[in-house]
Amino acid sequence: MRVRAGEVVLGLGFIGLMITLFLAFNWAPSVNINAFQAPESQRIFYWHVPAAWAAFIAFAVLFVGSALWFFKRSPLGWKLHIAGSEAGLACGLMAVWSGCVWGAAEWGTPWDWEDWRLNTFGLLTLLALFLVLGRQSQPDGVESRDTFSTFGLYGFVLVPLTYVATRIWVIRHPGPVIGGDEESSISGDMALVLMIGAISFTTLIVGHILTSMEITKFEQRLERLQKELDGE
Amino acid sequence: MAEALLELDGVTVRRGMGVVLNNFSLTVKSGECVILYGENGAGKSTVIETAARLLPMESGTVRHHGKIVCDGDGRRINPPKPFGLTLQSNCLVQSQTIEQRFQDVVSLCGKSFDSKPLLEDYKISNRRNDKIAHLSGGQMRKVAVLSGLIPGMVSAEPRIILLDEPDSGLDDTSVEMLVSHLHMLRNLGHAIVIASHDKRLFECATTMHDLSTAQSNRPENTDTWTVISKDKKYSLLNTKIGWKLNFSTLVSLQRNWLAALLVMGTLLSIADPLTLTDEEIILMGFTLAPAFTMGLIGDSVFKILAEHRAIDWWRSQHNTVPHSYAESALSGMIITAIAMQIFLQSVDLRIIIVGGLITLFTSIAVRFLQMSTIRLARSNAVFIRLLTPILILPWGIVVDYCAAL
Repeated sequence: MRVRAGEVVLGLGFIGLMITLFLAFNWAPSVNINAFQAPESQRIFYWHVPAAWAAFIAFAVLFVGSALWFFKRSPLGWKLHIAGSEAGLACGLMAVWSGCVWGAAEWGTPWDWEDWRLNTFGLLTLLALFLVLGRQSQPDGVESRDTFSTFGLYGFVLVPLTYVATRIWVIRHPGPVIGGDEESSISGDMALVLMIGAISFTTLIVGHILTSMEITKFEQRLERLQKELDGE
Repeated sequence: MAEALLELDGVTVRRGMGVVLNNFSLTVKSGECVILYGENGAGKSTVIETAARLLPMESGTVRHHGKIVCDGDGRRINPPKPFGLTLQSNCLVQSQTIEQRFQDVVSLCGKSFDSKPLLEDYKISNRRNDKIAHLSGGQMRKVAVLSGLIPGMVSAEPRIILLDEPDSGLDDTSVEMLVSHLHMLRNLGHAIVIASHDKRLFECATTMHDLSTAQSNRPENTDTWTVISKDKKYSLLNTKIGWKLNFSTLVSLQRNWLAALLVMGTLLSIADPLTLTDEEIILMGFTLAPAFTMGLIGDSVFKILAEHRAIDWWRSQHNTVPHSYAESALSGMIITAIAMQIFLQSVDLRIIIVGGLITLFTSIAVRFLQMSTIRLARSNAVFIRLLTPILILPWGIVVDYCAAL
């Protein structure tokens, strides 16, 4: 059986994730117990932050794919749209779920409806869920591709809004770790584990995008063959 | 020289993954009747729906009465004059009566008329005040076809009439009557386009078109239709029609009100308002939650029009389809007043107005999301409500603001 590049990259990303988890729970130093309500649960941050980072990459791919399909009718654009929405959904759910677990332990509530960043990020994940489920509910055609790529384009507005929200409307959620100010930045062993996590998630997402595009190519080929058999 | 009423110029339309019309052009002048008769899948319905502004085009332009109504750049402009349209689906609201349906069509044309003689011609005058849902399939088709003919029948000025398979489901007598009416409307100067395989309709044609070549034909019938209408001015038509649809079906009571009352009852079951007197934000949230729920359920008229492609018929006529905005705002105010009495034991007009606005804007937002997916083959199956949580944050901010009042 031929092993494809996407599957190899996906596998490498998965191994990286396992290493990240191991280091997060067994090697990374604990945070100051006086600074947090639930200091041990803070370790979930090594999973949460890289997942959110990867989700943003996926949403960027979704945006590029949507734009390519909408403006250029590019088949590659549609494949990127599918891959980006699936990867965005997977990573978005990982970030949201791990954030809820941490929020419940640290804040006493899994969600804060008045925090802009949580809401805009949650909405991005719901958008990805809408695109994935919605696409599966419709026959493939320009009508569905146009509609979903329009939502992909509009949805990307939430990405800069979410990023800005981390700086302007910080209510409960901590400020940005990547590209943040001196107070919020980290160093040493914690930064190393976080970086391994970010690289692993990025590798995983690249692998997922490559694999998803390959699967979409096969699905489209199968559809063409079905139509040839139907005599269309 | 007769005026060109309908022009499709270099139109390319995709449906599914295929190109159905490729650089297709068609001009129909006043007094002409074009019959499209190509084989199944040739694109006859696509021509009709494109001419009615229902399908987006890859390229090309559609003009009504010389003015662009839609084009390949995505522009969609209201037609300068009302036109007749019958699609393959009947596009009828099942809970309307025949008379109500015809009055809506006539009011779009800025006219009033007595529908009884027309219904007698088609042998459905006894059903005039019956709901469309109670009619047989053939009778429904007659109503749909007449809805397409009426804009021509009430106007002495040339109008466009687009009919997709009008004969389907009609008995022989009705088809004969239809042929006779088509002759008379054509001779009056209307421009008619019909997609059909029925050879009985071919005698009406001045042009037979199989979507690649056109052949001229000379109909012998010279009878002319006598216009049966009076001018009548209508204002706020889409609001009024939405209001009538809502009241004739009570759909907002069934959907929006019921959901809001259930939410209010559920909130009452978990907390006694008298024990929460110091929790202003929670009490204000309880007070404004029913209004928000009412809006989240969506525009009730949209739900009615989603049946049997009725919304497509309205979309073709005007970019703004009938809505229930006024009813939403009013219902939101009433439910908020009731919730205030229950949870706050007081009445504040400012909060009541805010409740009305919450229902109105939420309902508009949900309707916008639903309209965005109207092009899809299965728009009801598309999980669009996954995006409605975007409305919770602004609602929370309004609750905070109102609690501080």
